Amino acid sequence: MSINRNFVLAYVMLVALPIVGLLGVLKSGRKLAAPISVDGLWRLQADPAKLASLPCGKALAESPDATLAISQSGKNFTLSLANGPRANASGVLEGTALNASIAPSIDWAAQANCGAGRELTLIATVDATANPRSLAGTLSANNCPSCAPVEFHALRQNPPTRRVSH
Amino acid sequence: MTLDLFKLVLQLTVILAVCRIAGTLFRKIGQPRVVGEMFAGILLGPSLLGWIAPNISAYLFPPASLGFLNALSQVGVVIFMFMVGLGINPRELKHQSHAAVLVSHVSITAPFVLASLLALYLYPRLSDDSVSFTNFALFMGAAMSITAFPVLARILNERDMMQTRLGTVAIACAAVDDVTGWCILAYIVVLIRATHETTSIWITLAGISLFALFMIYGVRFLLRGLERTFHKYGEISENRMAFLILLALGSALCTEKLGIHLLFGSFLMGAIMPKEPKFVRYILDRLETITITLLLPLFFAFTGLRTNIASLKGPAMWLYCALIILVATGGKLGGSTIAGRLSGMRLREAAGLGTLMNTRGLMELVILNIGLDIKVISPALFSMMVLMALFTTFMTTPLLAWLCPDRILQPELAKIPAQEATLPPPMMEPTGGSAA
Repeated sequence: MSINRNFVLAYVMLVALPIVGLLGVLKSGRKLAAPISVDGLWRLQADPAKLASLPCGKALAESPDATLAISQSGKNFTLSLANGPRANASGVLEGTALNASIAPSIDWAAQANCGAGRELTLIATVDATANPRSLAGTLSANNCPSCAPVEFHALRQNPPTRRVSH
Repeated sequence: MTLDLFKLVLQLTVILAVCRIAGTLFRKIGQPRVVGEMFAGILLGPSLLGWIAPNISAYLFPPASLGFLNALSQVGVVIFMFMVGLGINPRELKHQSHAAVLVSHVSITAPFVLASLLALYLYPRLSDDSVSFTNFALFMGAAMSITAFPVLARILNERDMMQTRLGTVAIACAAVDDVTGWCILAYIVVLIRATHETTSIWITLAGISLFALFMIYGVRFLLRGLERTFHKYGEISENRMAFLILLALGSALCTEKLGIHLLFGSFLMGAIMPKEPKFVRYILDRLETITITLLLPLFFAFTGLRTNIASLKGPAMWLYCALIILVATGGKLGGSTIAGRLSGMRLREAAGLGTLMNTRGLMELVILNIGLDIKVISPALFSMMVLMALFTTFMTTPLLAWLCPDRILQPELAKIPAQEATLPPPMMEPTGGSAA
């Protein structure tokens, strides 16, 4: 296989130089900061009596081992209750602050008799220094001035589980 | 987790029916069946069925039942990777022309570098601090530089292009891309798993190297006996076939235990197999039917169940998705076209080569599922990359037909000796089969 000058030149320009560039990109990328990780399962701890006082909260209060499953994509995340009622919930992470709205499913709303369109809001702060990471915040009902927010605490279960389902 | 046999069989029935129907419909519009089956998987997931009929979706695919579906689909992918390895012939790589050397290397470096540049933008937006930038960028690079070797072989075969210069260069480049892509991916998996395990990364790497040497110099010698038996009797006994499958599964188990992944072992086992075309064809014939018609659709469905297009909320997410498709196509198609042109190919021929190299198909889905499992990519990024795989695979056939119509290939095809043109191509599917 004779190697001509054009081939060598093309190889250097299109293969060797880009590899050097790749090393530079990898080095400069190390300075980038990604949002803190909240992905995984979180064991939820809250006063069941207070939870039950929230509209739609009864179903949550009846799930003593409620586990919050957070699926994170950058600053956005979706959450579900692994052992609790079904809900559509998504939120945004800003720094260490989580803000999510939880819309109970039709089944949940019908079971709890809390009316369609009712939403719960979850506001929490992540303690990124703790190992395992912990969450502390409140769960409140939207459009319900008389309902007091319920404080909760959650601990991430270690090691984080693999993502195996939707 | 208890096995609900009724639910599992129901899932299999629904998946096979939907995949067959979608595959047949896509064949009617000139697409490889695999594109229809990939599409069917997405239809069965939260992106469509879960969205329009959440109760039916929850009944058919409750999260607790997906473990069994995943296990079955993974068995299929393990066998499929053995078949992919079997289809790769190192002799084709040894006798590469300058064009093939340049194109194959550029078709890896161009998408790899562009993907790592895109990673600078996407990492703060779609990842989190549990993943290092290096792992994220390397994974993006590996995922974007892969080529679906089997789909490519199928398209070339359907268009009678196997013996053309374009065909031989494309096959050689795809083989190099896949081997390189899998090596890079193996390295990333080792890196990520090493951070969670107590075993030193050097011990892991040494173990993998020893295992690869054992396979190449020990097991390969054993396999030559199998090839000799085939030549003597024209077939292989069921016992020997079972032994071969056992070796593939054993190799897969070893690589999993060594800290990479099951699929690397089965791929390696396929790659070290004797490559005499009739022998390869014989083995593939025995494995393809069940793997391609039954097990791989399960993998498509499982991938579809993990793909949620609804997670791409807002214009920003769709912009990221468009950027991923643009970079993947620009790097692979653009890079290969430029390299082909610099190697002396005509523009249309070089663009045809770029189009073929841009085919990602099932190979991409396999890599993406590994990425999601080891958590190097997030669910939204996974969905975007699945869309990219679907888009780049879908565009191949019409773009190739436009760039390289038969009238351009005919003069070259006419020069091929008849005997040479009848050699069985790697991964040629049975009639009506699916090139994955």
